[in-house]
Amino acid sequence: MADIRDAVIIGANRIPFARAHGAYAKASNQDMLTSTLNGLVARYGLQGAQLGAVAGGAVMKHSKNFNLVRESVLGTPIASNTPAYDVQMACATGMEAIGSLANKIKLGQIDSAIGGGVDSISDAPIVVTDALRGIIMEANRAKTTGQRLKALAKIRPGHLAPQAPGVNEPRTGLSMGEHMAITADQWGISREEQDELALASHKNLAKAYDDGFFDDLVTPFKGVDRDNNMRADSTMEKLGKLSPAFGKDLGDQATMTAANSTALTDGASAVLLGSEEWADERDLPKLANFIDYEEGAVDFVDGAEGLLMAPTYAAARMLKRNNLSFEDFEYFEIHEAFASTVLAQMKAWESAEFCREKLGLDKPLGTIDRSRLNVNGSSLAAGHPFAATGGRIVATLSKLLHGKPGKLGFISVCAAGGQGITAIIEGR
Amino acid sequence: MTRTIDLPNLSSLYRRAALGALKSKLSSNGSLRGLTVEPVVARHPGISEQQVEDYRRLFAGEAFDGAHRGALPSVLIHIAAFPVQMGLMSSKDFPLPLLGMVHLANTVEHHQPVMPNTSLQILVKAQNFRAHRKGTQVDITVDVYPQGVDVDSADQSELLWSGVSTYLGIGTFVAGKPEGEQSRRGQGGFTPPRKTAQWNLGAGAGRDYAAVSGDYNPIHVSNLAAKALGQRGMIAHGMYSAARMLEGREPESAGHRWSIEFEAPVALPGTVNFAVEDISDGTQRFTGWNARKNRRHFTGELILP
Repeated sequence: MADIRDAVIIGANRIPFARAHGAYAKASNQDMLTSTLNGLVARYGLQGAQLGAVAGGAVMKHSKNFNLVRESVLGTPIASNTPAYDVQMACATGMEAIGSLANKIKLGQIDSAIGGGVDSISDAPIVVTDALRGIIMEANRAKTTGQRLKALAKIRPGHLAPQAPGVNEPRTGLSMGEHMAITADQWGISREEQDELALASHKNLAKAYDDGFFDDLVTPFKGVDRDNNMRADSTMEKLGKLSPAFGKDLGDQATMTAANSTALTDGASAVLLGSEEWADERDLPKLANFIDYEEGAVDFVDGAEGLLMAPTYAAARMLKRNNLSFEDFEYFEIHEAFASTVLAQMKAWESAEFCREKLGLDKPLGTIDRSRLNVNGSSLAAGHPFAATGGRIVATLSKLLHGKPGKLGFISVCAAGGQGITAIIEGR
Repeated sequence: MTRTIDLPNLSSLYRRAALGALKSKLSSNGSLRGLTVEPVVARHPGISEQQVEDYRRLFAGEAFDGAHRGALPSVLIHIAAFPVQMGLMSSKDFPLPLLGMVHLANTVEHHQPVMPNTSLQILVKAQNFRAHRKGTQVDITVDVYPQGVDVDSADQSELLWSGVSTYLGIGTFVAGKPEGEQSRRGQGGFTPPRKTAQWNLGAGAGRDYAAVSGDYNPIHVSNLAAKALGQRGMIAHGMYSAARMLEGREPESAGHRWSIEFEAPVALPGTVNFAVEDISDGTQRFTGWNARKNRRHFTGELILP
């Protein structure tokens, strides 16, 4: 086997993220992903290029999109002999796609790759009830017209109601927001600190746009040129007026509002990776190296751990393996599923008890310097089209670290099902 | 003496009960002394794989594939025995009217694993009639034995499953009226535990459980009938809550005990907040409640062997 080599993050592209049922209401996942890939192709001259692999996915996916990424690639000028496949790990889909592609590059299995993701709330897969599907399938299996009619005669009006995709955790019946409200309450996360984090996200993202930071990371789509969930003019006073949206049964202890929780959005992202040689041959930029990533999962079903706390465990293992501590990082990107998710993870890493009892560490992982956290905004402002978030974060962090060789960036992305991913990126 | 009966048909029992509800079953003012109901035993052909599959789908639970898991969940054995309970409670010598009877509590000792398609003997007794401020309470004990055992002389070691269902016959004071007993359901100052799950029950939850259990008690499947029986509308089966609370927690090798005590009924459609707490090693406590009204629906406990 070849020696481990660097997996280089060359560049990225995404379309602006748009609030659900708005600007992208009529765009499909395939439309958005294809457009995103086209933007990446145009930016890095990938027309006709045969890549090692393209991987990505969507959390909310129509069954007809069984080969979503391959079909999207076929709609671009990327050479059609480029293999492509779908990945799905809920909100960590994009991170899993990018991380596993980076590993393949490191091992020398492939020289180039695109990883990313897409999600649409506006074009979510609506399906028929289990009962109706059972009847239709029975009719389909019938050998005679009589049998078929007999099966179809079982259809009742109640069977005809369309079924939207479930938004609740299947094993608890609780929405992600309700789960997070429990964790936020356990960690004593205040309304004020959540609103402060949300406000910082909007301010930071708006400033980054104004500074032109996203000029070579974002391509307009359907007339949208900036994430349209962003509220540059938001204030603590405005945020403070909102009523709680989650954890309402906590009464006056409820802290989570629509503003300090991520809005439902549509969008897509893609990141171009390659070996050093591949980038050099094509005279492409080398923003950063993808150093390592770690998946985590927790037992959340009976409340032993918070649904979105898996990254705290993944981080501990990943840092130990790389012999690093938080002090070694220049920037931190912690996905803002909810403001309280970021705050709870940080409190956990600061807690001697949590780090000892749960993470098995001698001392706490430590405090994350707020001035290094989500410095160009995160999901609260940009929005969070589930599978597209990993690509957005990797792109932002890689560009932040570009020109700072050896400086490290930390990523944490939580996901449904009590899972999560953490990653390390190094500037170059 | 134990009377052997055929496995009763639940729907015909409910029809008879509806007619019987019009007349009081009490011929005299009744007294606790000498109140005896002849125990009954019935043979059950075994719980079918189809019923197991229907149960599994209803609770989206573990696959009972017969290879990695074959033993039946405890509530499915209750379901198998329920017609015999109902048969006894419909018998002429049972003093309380069947319809409108309120299920107060259930305790179960699940001694040994029970597999599908295994014929069973179900022995049911009515015991411990006692006064309640709203009527008369009674314990219906259910002992489930394998085929070939003489239930009248059977040894405890031959018992597969035993349960006690406590019911309240409202308005029938067979055992007199208790003095000075306060309402058990006052629930003053109920502080809910931290929820771990939420059950979102649709209007059809009662009908869905009825389709699996055969228990088409009108109070669970029809708003009109439920109103006639003194509820505001349909309520969930108590054993539906028990089944959900136990789902995925029962050991394959059995030997566990569990109990559930019902308080405010679960109105359908409705949302139940649910919490599981580890009390000690091998003991879990469950609570179901209505967050909006701050009323407890049930508390339960599971003790592993």
